[in-house]
Amino acid sequence: MTQQGMLATAAATARKPVIVANDLGIQFKRNRRHRRNFKDLFAESSRRARPDEFWALRNVSFSVQSGEAVGVVGRNGQGKSTLLKLVADVMIPDEGRVAVTGGVAPLIEITGGFVDDLSVRENVYLTAGLHGMSVPEIENRFDEIISFADIGDFLDTPYKHLSSGMRVRIAFSVISRLEEPILLVDEVLAVGDRQFKEKCYNRIDELLASGRTMFFVSHSEADLLRFCTRGLYLDKGKLILDGPIQEVVDRYNADYK
Amino acid sequence: MISEAKQSERRVSAVVAPRRERSVSQRYRHSLWLLTKRDLQVRYTTSALGYVWSILDPLLMSAIYYFVFVVVFKRGSATEDPYIVFLMTALLPWTWFNGSINDMAMAFIREAKLIRSTSIPRSIWVMRITLSKGIEFLLSLPVLVVFVIISEFTPTPAHIRFDAVYTPLAILLEAVLIVGLGLIIAPVVVFFRDLERAIKLVLRLLFYATPIVYGISRFDSSSAIKHVLDFNPLTGIMSIYRSSFFAGSLDWPAVIIASVESLVILGIGILMFRRNVRAVLKEL
Repeated sequence: MTQQGMLATAAATARKPVIVANDLGIQFKRNRRHRRNFKDLFAESSRRARPDEFWALRNVSFSVQSGEAVGVVGRNGQGKSTLLKLVADVMIPDEGRVAVTGGVAPLIEITGGFVDDLSVRENVYLTAGLHGMSVPEIENRFDEIISFADIGDFLDTPYKHLSSGMRVRIAFSVISRLEEPILLVDEVLAVGDRQFKEKCYNRIDELLASGRTMFFVSHSEADLLRFCTRGLYLDKGKLILDGPIQEVVDRYNADYK
Repeated sequence: MISEAKQSERRVSAVVAPRRERSVSQRYRHSLWLLTKRDLQVRYTTSALGYVWSILDPLLMSAIYYFVFVVVFKRGSATEDPYIVFLMTALLPWTWFNGSINDMAMAFIREAKLIRSTSIPRSIWVMRITLSKGIEFLLSLPVLVVFVIISEFTPTPAHIRFDAVYTPLAILLEAVLIVGLGLIIAPVVVFFRDLERAIKLVLRLLFYATPIVYGISRFDSSSAIKHVLDFNPLTGIMSIYRSSFFAGSLDWPAVIIASVESLVILGIGILMFRRNVRAVLKEL
C-alpha cells in the first residue's frame, strides 16, 4: 500500500458516518393527478377510490462518511430526488430511517423560500434565517452573499422584479454560504449562464476542499465524475450498486446505452 | 481505493468549524418568529393602507350591525349599551378566529415550495397563522379603546370592570382552540380541497351561533338555545372578553366547557397532525 493510500485509509477510519440510511422505503400513489373528492370523506373505505401505490424506494441502506462526495445515478423516476428529499428531511420515510448528524444545506428548489413581495435584502435574511443562521451570522456574510450573486444594485428591489437568472443566483448564493457540514445538490447547476455555472462549480470545489460532505443528484456524467468519489446507483427504487463513482457510471452506461 | 486516494488529494486538513449548536426549541422559535414577521411584513409593505386593512373589517361589520340593530330596529337593552362597544368586544376576537381558520385551509398549499425545499418543523405552518393573526388582533384593540373613550361623552358610557383581568385567559383559550382546529384542518384540506369551501360555510354559520351580535345573558339558563350555545367553545371565550365592560356577561360554566373543549380539540389535532403529516409531504 502506498503511503498516500495508508494516510487516506487512516483518515477514513477516523471519520464518523454523517448520513446513515437504514432500510429506507417510501410509497407513492401511482396516479398522482387523482384527487380524492369530498364524497370520499364519507364513503365507506371499500367504496373509496383508492389509487394503487408503489414503492419509490425500498430496502435502501448506506452510510456516508464525513468528507465524502456521493453521486446518485439512475434514470428519471427511479427515486433519486426522493432519496435526496429524505436525507434533507423534507419527506418522511414509510419504512426505516435516515439519521443525519449535523446541519444540511439543501440546494433543492433553491428559490422556494423566497417571497415575491419582499426585497432582496429581506429575502436573504429570511431564507438564511429559516436555514438556521442567526442575524449576526447573516450580517457577517451579507456582503459576501451579495457580491457572489453579483446583484448589488438590486438590494432593495422586490424579488418578483428580478430576472429569473438573478433569482437563481441570489438563491444559490445564500444556500451555498450556509455553514453546514453537509451539502445536498439536486441538479440546480443546470440553470444560469455559463459564467455563473463555472462560479457555482468553483464554489462547490471550495466547499468540498474544506471538508464538507456532499450528496449529489445529477444526470451529467461529467459533473458526477468531477465532484464525486463514490456513487449510488438506483434502479426501480432499489440500490443496485454502491461503489467508486467510475464503476457506478460504467455500470449505468452498460445498462442503458 | 481509488476513491480514498482521490479524497486525500482534496486537502481534508481544513475541517469545517462546528457551528454554534442551537437547541430544537430555539430553532423552532427562531423560525416561527421569522415567518410571523414575514407575514406582517408582506401585509404592511404591499398595501398602502397596511394597518387600516386589519381593522377595517371589524370596523365595517360593527357599523353595519349598529345600523341594522340600533338605527333600523331600535332595539337595545340596558345590559348591552353602548351597543357599538358591545359588538366590538366580540367582533375583534371573532376576526382573529375567522381569519385564522380561513387561512388554515391554505396553510400547506400556499407554502408548498418552501415546505418542499426547507426542513422546518411542520407544525410551524399552523402556529405562524395563529400568531400573526393574533398579533393583528392585539394591534386592533386600540380601536376598541377609541370607542370606549367616545362613549364617555354619550348618555351610556362604557366602564372597564374588574373582570378585564381575565382577558389573558380568553386569549389563551382562543389560541389553543385555533391551533387545535388548525392542526386538524391544515393537513386534511391538502387531500380534500373542497373542504376549503365547506369551512367558509361553517364559519358563516358559526358567526351567528356565537354570542357576537347578541349577548348570552339574554337567554335564561334553562332554555334550549342556551344549552346549544354553551356547547360552542366560542361562547365561553366571548363571555370573558365581554365581561371587561358588561356586567353579567361572564358565564363560568360556559368558560369551563370552552376550556375542556379547546384542550380536547388540541389533543385530537396533535394526534391527527402526526398521522397525516407524512402523507401531506408526499402530496405537496
